[in-house]
Amino acid sequence: MRRVAVIGVGVTKFGLHDRTSAELFAEAAADALTDAGIPASAVQALYYGNVVGGETEHQLHTGPQAASVLGIPSVPTTRFETACASSHAAFRHAVMEIAAGVSDVVMVGGAERVLNVTTAESTEYFAYASDAVWEQRLGLTFPGVFALIARAHMQKHGTTEAQMAAVAVKNHRHGALNPKAQFQKQITIEQVLKSAYVADPLKIFDCCPFSDGGAALVLASEEVARRHRKPVWVLGSAAASDWMLLGDKRDLSRVPATERAAAAAYRQAGLGPDDVDVVEVHDCFTIAEIVATEGLGFFEPGAGGRAAEEGRTSLGGEIPVNPSGGLKAKGHPIGATGAAQIAEIVTQLRGEAGPRQVDGARRGLTHTLGGNTATVLVSLFGRD
Amino acid sequence: MTEPAITVRAFFERVRAGQLVAIRCESCGQLAIPPRELCPTCHARAWQPQSLAGDGTIASYTVIRVAPRSHAAEAPYAVAVVTLKEGVAVLGRIVDIPLGSLAIGMPVRFRPLVVSDQASIGFGPA
Ligand SMILES: [Zn+2]
Repeated sequence: MRRVAVIGVGVTKFGLHDRTSAELFAEAAADALTDAGIPASAVQALYYGNVVGGETEHQLHTGPQAASVLGIPSVPTTRFETACASSHAAFRHAVMEIAAGVSDVVMVGGAERVLNVTTAESTEYFAYASDAVWEQRLGLTFPGVFALIARAHMQKHGTTEAQMAAVAVKNHRHGALNPKAQFQKQITIEQVLKSAYVADPLKIFDCCPFSDGGAALVLASEEVARRHRKPVWVLGSAAASDWMLLGDKRDLSRVPATERAAAAAYRQAGLGPDDVDVVEVHDCFTIAEIVATEGLGFFEPGAGGRAAEEGRTSLGGEIPVNPSGGLKAKGHPIGATGAAQIAEIVTQLRGEAGPRQVDGARRGLTHTLGGNTATVLVSLFGRD
Repeated sequence: MTEPAITVRAFFERVRAGQLVAIRCESCGQLAIPPRELCPTCHARAWQPQSLAGDGTIASYTVIRVAPRSHAAEAPYAVAVVTLKEGVAVLGRIVDIPLGSLAIGMPVRFRPLVVSDQASIGFGPA
């Protein structure tokens, strides 16, 4: 298998946009090509994440649409859909295609547009990632899934609402340093704790926002990447799944797909949690970050809430988590999220993250979760 | 070709009639909530329906206050993962239990929930 590197990244500002998701992707993709310093003609394939385009934009077949709007209409392209992990799944496919010698340069991207519909509508569309008959009929929502996880974690480990609030405060503090973030404003523990319940025990400030945005990456084989100024190497990339129905999950306080994907990615890279300097995890809800930091092996099961409260996951702490602001503050345009997390880690490993730079970061990890925790992807990155 | 032990449609027709049913693997005894083609434990393809008593305890719960469009008129409402005494667990809507009194470990009992002529799983007081 050949080594694969990320040689270009591009991300739009996240938040409200009066543009289609294809336009948002194309802006990010053109920026990624400029960043890579290679012409569009070098791109041999496009793998693309988009989730609710059918519902919010009446748009399927988003792969070739994205390629056309970018201006590379003839490359092979496929849309990946693994709920919120879609563009991370697209990324893993591109890595395997280059590693196998099929292509030398592949573009990966994703985009989403949801702020053109109401919260009740987007809440409904996001719930499509749960089982239609068994769970949607009961009115289960995305925050509801993570509220069930939060309640189980609180019962088993004594995790508190204040510990979850500490994750939100930390990610807003980081997001305030990121000019692309949807929210660039600090918040307090009191603000989080006094905000209205969305699905008890999760409050509005425990939840990431609905967002529009796009992200793109240029991946290349080692031979191409060696000519690039600062290639960031893909050291491992793994996917795992879990039961679809919540009732079939044995222990709601854990996310087994995270643990399985992490074990496989660490094995590929020959690394463990102690070797990682900077992390972007899927904090769609504050409890999701806590459970992710446990599943990835940074803390023992049950210790993630206390670790967040003690500042161990802050910039300057022992393992900085979500220096970008995470989904919570940076925003969560679901089809773009996996690619945007990778863009942040690449920026960190190049040492180009400005005021949110993790000093001397050499190894980074991204973790993206799909919907009801039934999909997780974990990838590991390193610089020369 | 093997006839399924119970289809999703048949399962919810039974729910409407007040019955909760699971499937049991004829080979290893594994109990599961349908639909399932292969046993996840032994990969056999032979299931028998098995009635469940409907008694269980709350494994986790939440009160949903921001609802999807199609359930907006029902909010706030509680859903819970309930572990049935036979060992399988399912998500259900909480019915006729004050939202403030819900707790993990609380005993509950299955009852059919019919909204807009669609049957789904409800749990009320034990
Ligand atoms: Zn079996």
